[in-house]
Amino acid sequence: MSILDHVWLGVLAVFHGPALFSLFGLPIPVALVMVLLGVVAGIIVGATPGLGGPMAMAISLPILISIFGFRPEALLPVMGFLVGVMKGATLGGAVPAILFNTPGTPDAYMTTLDGWPLARNGQAGKALRVAHASSVMGDSFSDLVLILCAPFLAVMVERFLDLPEKAALLILSLTFIAAVMGGSIGKGLISMGLGLLIAAIGTGQDFYPRLTLGMPSLAEGFSVVTVVLGVLVLGEVFKSLEDGLRDARSGSRPDTRPRGPQALTRADFGRILPYVCRSAVIGTVIGALPGIGSTLAATLGYTLGRARHARRGGSPAFGEGAIEGVAATEAANSAVSGANLIPVLSLGIPGNAAAVFLILAADSIGGFNPGPWVFRVPTTGSNPEMVVAFGLFTMMLVANLLNWTLGGAVMRASGIMARIPRSLLLPSVVLVTLTSLYVQAPEMMTLVVTLIFGVLGYLMRRLGISPLPFIIAFILASPLERAIRQAFAATGGDVWFLVNRPVSAMFLLLGVWVIVASLRRKSPR
Amino acid sequence: MQSFYKGAIAALLVAASTTFGSEGAQAQGWMPSGPITLKIAFAAGGGADTQARLIAAELESRYGWTIIPEQAAGRGGLSLLADIRDDPADGTVIGMTVTDSLGYSSRASEAPWTPADFTPIATTASFQMGLVASAGSGWASFPDLLDAARGGQVIRFGVMSAKLADQAYLLGEANDVAFNIVELNGGAAVMNGITAGDIDVGFVAGAQSRGVASGDLVNLASALSAPLTQTPDAPLLSEFGLPFDSDGYFVFIAPAGLPEEARTALAEAISAIASDPSNPAGEAIQRAFGEASTLSGAALTDFLTRQYDDAGALMDAASN
Repeated sequence: MSILDHVWLGVLAVFHGPALFSLFGLPIPVALVMVLLGVVAGIIVGATPGLGGPMAMAISLPILISIFGFRPEALLPVMGFLVGVMKGATLGGAVPAILFNTPGTPDAYMTTLDGWPLARNGQAGKALRVAHASSVMGDSFSDLVLILCAPFLAVMVERFLDLPEKAALLILSLTFIAAVMGGSIGKGLISMGLGLLIAAIGTGQDFYPRLTLGMPSLAEGFSVVTVVLGVLVLGEVFKSLEDGLRDARSGSRPDTRPRGPQALTRADFGRILPYVCRSAVIGTVIGALPGIGSTLAATLGYTLGRARHARRGGSPAFGEGAIEGVAATEAANSAVSGANLIPVLSLGIPGNAAAVFLILAADSIGGFNPGPWVFRVPTTGSNPEMVVAFGLFTMMLVANLLNWTLGGAVMRASGIMARIPRSLLLPSVVLVTLTSLYVQAPEMMTLVVTLIFGVLGYLMRRLGISPLPFIIAFILASPLERAIRQAFAATGGDVWFLVNRPVSAMFLLLGVWVIVASLRRKSPR
Repeated sequence: MQSFYKGAIAALLVAASTTFGSEGAQAQGWMPSGPITLKIAFAAGGGADTQARLIAAELESRYGWTIIPEQAAGRGGLSLLADIRDDPADGTVIGMTVTDSLGYSSRASEAPWTPADFTPIATTASFQMGLVASAGSGWASFPDLLDAARGGQVIRFGVMSAKLADQAYLLGEANDVAFNIVELNGGAAVMNGITAGDIDVGFVAGAQSRGVASGDLVNLASALSAPLTQTPDAPLLSEFGLPFDSDGYFVFIAPAGLPEEARTALAEAISAIASDPSNPAGEAIQRAFGEASTLSGAALTDFLTRQYDDAGALMDAASN
């Protein structure tokens, strides 16, 4: 079967998969319904300050698995919902930023700079439409790059990298993620090291459980879901509760009632298009590098857009309600999401929290193991993993289509979410998280461990340590250990296997350079 | 969502069948005192896990028992053994693992138990453990590989357990060649490694059958005490100075002291399902292994005892 046959099988897996119900005699496949639900849910959580895509994915994953079970047919519906949430949340993030000047995510902060002035001038509707159009365009561009690049990159990796090189590539990726995320390289490395350490507990190849301090409850190690939900969700909730206690929000809101035409005219479209294109490229390039994330993309997109706007003497200027400002930010941060899956699908290395949850879904359900082998064309028969990959791509495109068509309306309607007080929202998040975990593993120990990791996540945030290197290191620890053991064995016990081969030595040198470069970047301050 | 409805319907059916289905269970002469927990020693979603869950579903529908499958994966089945050992021996807790976990794995980890601390119930399928290489290697049989190794080619030898690593080591020693033995995570990983060219040869326990049929892979030798079903012409590794075989099965077990009545009822029920390809579980076993292999009673107990003793001999041989 050729790669094109696999593409077609992937499309069929989505559209001809198990049907949920029939509409006018037409079977409606469950995967499509899940993408739609995911997109709507994503926009709503994105529009809710204090929630976000990763948190929604974390909470919904155990619930989805308990609904769909561990059968291979569950893969596409579960991943469809997660992809929908990922894309919807990117779109929804602009809503509170524009309407209430409360950025739900760090990258949406850039959207407030022009979105909020527009809203104050009675142009909230137009700002939301600009955000919608730019976000969806950036996202679609990024997905196309992913679909075209990931298979080829994967085939190249598989052909040219041997076991020692694969081990060195994992080390480089972890170093890179530690260096670019979080406040400083030191904090990034602490976060990563902690992730590797926690992942080492109870695991390993020996028959004896490792690092358990004699405690039987540690012998099985920690389940990924417990650690991820604890650190990412509970940690965030604890931090938000503290923030909420501290800042007593008061004051009346300025009048943002619509004044003047809100529609996006052809001229408006012409104004934003160059900014959208440029930011889409920036977002895609940044997204393809694991770990950098959408905040840098948004900042870069906005800064470069501002420079261009100033050169051309555009009015109003950025920061005073320029639709170009909203467009530059939204296109850049949305373009990150598709490209972010390139390292996952071609190397098996998750680059951001959304990718972490896709890997987690694939891991829990089984039958799909993201990495270079996904795109291997078999000489006979089909490669079921490649079919799933193209099914995933199909669902991403469907999600984009839904974002284009329904997204705008759902986005404008979900402005109401920002009015829900935190005091109601955050406890509900904790309740849903703990319940969904308890359903999976009905033991009090699960909840205790999750709470402990929640406290860890809170402390990391308090100390300005990004929890993402921790999570990614926790997930990559076992592939890294395996790769190192295997490379060591395959080279006949050569202790220098990482440095005496040109490609792996180059990867290691690059890792050292990444650390040195980020130290130099920080040192002038 | 569909599975959700299926689950709900199944739950209703189970509730109904516990009322009406007791007749079938009575025919076995044994009825569990409550729901049966089935602990599975394999990661969720894999072939072995699916087999266990399909058997559980078929047991429910045939006998009206309620079976709750749960994962107890880790450390080559040792986690399951540690977990199940202290459970009640009344048939309400059973486990599914591989026979090796009661043999080499238990022995090598110096676990505080022997096979006598468990009640073996029945096996479902045997491993078709072959020594597999890619057709692109140009090797047709094990002697070709030995020639290549003696000619100076470094051979990366993939294994999926410490027991197989010992066997690979002894096999090299008996033939005056040294293999670079790489331990990988399960049969699928060994297959992936062979296809990707990361390793040259490896032990695979049945997953190779499709690739062998299509001509992409070659069974260089049988690691069993008998020829492989698919390629009976492949030589036995015992012909090359390896006195240990890799015979092994998927096995259902319970804690020691399971009443004979319960043991027989469970063994008969599981064996019947495994060897009947008209149900989903039996069909899956036939598809993956060609046929079911159902050992139970004294034959199974004897096999486990012999395997446990062999494991000790293998470890002694490999450490000398």
